[in-house]
Amino acid sequence: MLFAGINFPPISDVLNWRSIAFNGSPFALNKVGLITLVAAALTLLLFFAAGKQGKLVPSGVQNFVESIVDFIHNSIVMDVMGQEGVPWAPYLTGLFFFIFICNIFEVIPFIQMPATARMSVPAPLALMVWVTFIVVGIRAQGVRHYFKNAIIPQGVPGALLILLVPLEILSNFIVRPFALAVRLFGNMLAGHLLLLTFAVISEAMFVKSVGLAILPLPFAMLTALTGYEIFVSALQAFIFTILSALYISEAMKSAH
Amino acid sequence: MTTVILAAAAAGSSNPILPAAGEIVWSVLSFALLLLLLGKWAYPPVKKMMADRAAKIRGDLDAAELARTEAQRTLEEYKEQLAQAKRDATHILDEARQTAEALRADILAKAEEDAAVVRARNEEALRIERQRVIAELRSEVGSLALELAEKIIDAEVDRAASQTLIDSFISEIGATRA
Repeated sequence: MLFAGINFPPISDVLNWRSIAFNGSPFALNKVGLITLVAAALTLLLFFAAGKQGKLVPSGVQNFVESIVDFIHNSIVMDVMGQEGVPWAPYLTGLFFFIFICNIFEVIPFIQMPATARMSVPAPLALMVWVTFIVVGIRAQGVRHYFKNAIIPQGVPGALLILLVPLEILSNFIVRPFALAVRLFGNMLAGHLLLLTFAVISEAMFVKSVGLAILPLPFAMLTALTGYEIFVSALQAFIFTILSALYISEAMKSAH
Repeated sequence: MTTVILAAAAAGSSNPILPAAGEIVWSVLSFALLLLLLGKWAYPPVKKMMADRAAKIRGDLDAAELARTEAQRTLEEYKEQLAQAKRDATHILDEARQTAEALRADILAKAEEDAAVVRARNEEALRIERQRVIAELRSEVGSLALELAEKIIDAEVDRAASQTLIDSFISEIGATRA
């Protein structure tokens, strides 16, 4: 049997990691925890390096950081939130960098694990965005106005409200954070498993000397998907950030 | 492989969706720390630098525009000055030409006048000389005629001698005339 050599590991094998420190305590640090720490540290390092360079004509790290800061400022903050969104730029920039670096570890050799493929990263982030936009809404419009605007659509006949209010509550306060977390998690998990699948097939073809003739096929797929996952990493970070900006911006304005 | 699975099982649930508690703690901690440090120390310098650069570029552009306008204005001034200078030069040339023409005419007129004066003086001198000569001739001819008459009367007797006398008279006149 040609494919007898292919041995897919159980899914928990590639997602649940041993803790490497503080074993047994709630602070058990494993690969995913380490990646999140590195993502935060790397982001700070990039910014400190860029800020320290401070050249009039940017190059290298400074250029890289500035182009992303500029991109977030123009394409997310200004386009979605407008001028009043400017104070939110550091928050959104941090969000984008953190998610992107957590994602990109999916294709970094020897690490090859997107921290966002574990619910432990997208869920708290989505929860934080959820809390943020509710707090912003309450602070901008007051408790009564905010919730009234958020769950009662204007210009709708009373009878329909019975149907629409539960839907609005569901869509604005339950589906939003859930979708935010699941979208990121699902995409990164799927990408991770895809890469894993083709890596396992390629390995089986090569190491176990089965089907060397068709090895180029799964390997080409693996290469192509690695490139695609780099794109997905950036795209998902962008989507998460722009949706967060949109939710916060909506909460700031009483338009509804 | 077994150890990995065992470790995973020990670390928490083996459900691929539900995360381990430690992961949540570290991810929240990392992100909170990132936001705090980024917002306080890391982001503002980068943003300030970018804003400063934008301001500098804007300032430079404004300055360049100002300099360009200034240069344009100076150029216009120079062009105007050049045109004025050309006009002045033409004017001066015209004036000089007119002056020269007037001078030439003056000199010519003066020369003609002088020539006329000289000519008139010469004519006058000639006329006086001619009158003087005529007067002289008249008196000479008179005295000669008288002399001739005397000599004729004296030589009445000797015709041959008279002839000699007339000849000498005529040669005398010729010598006087010469």
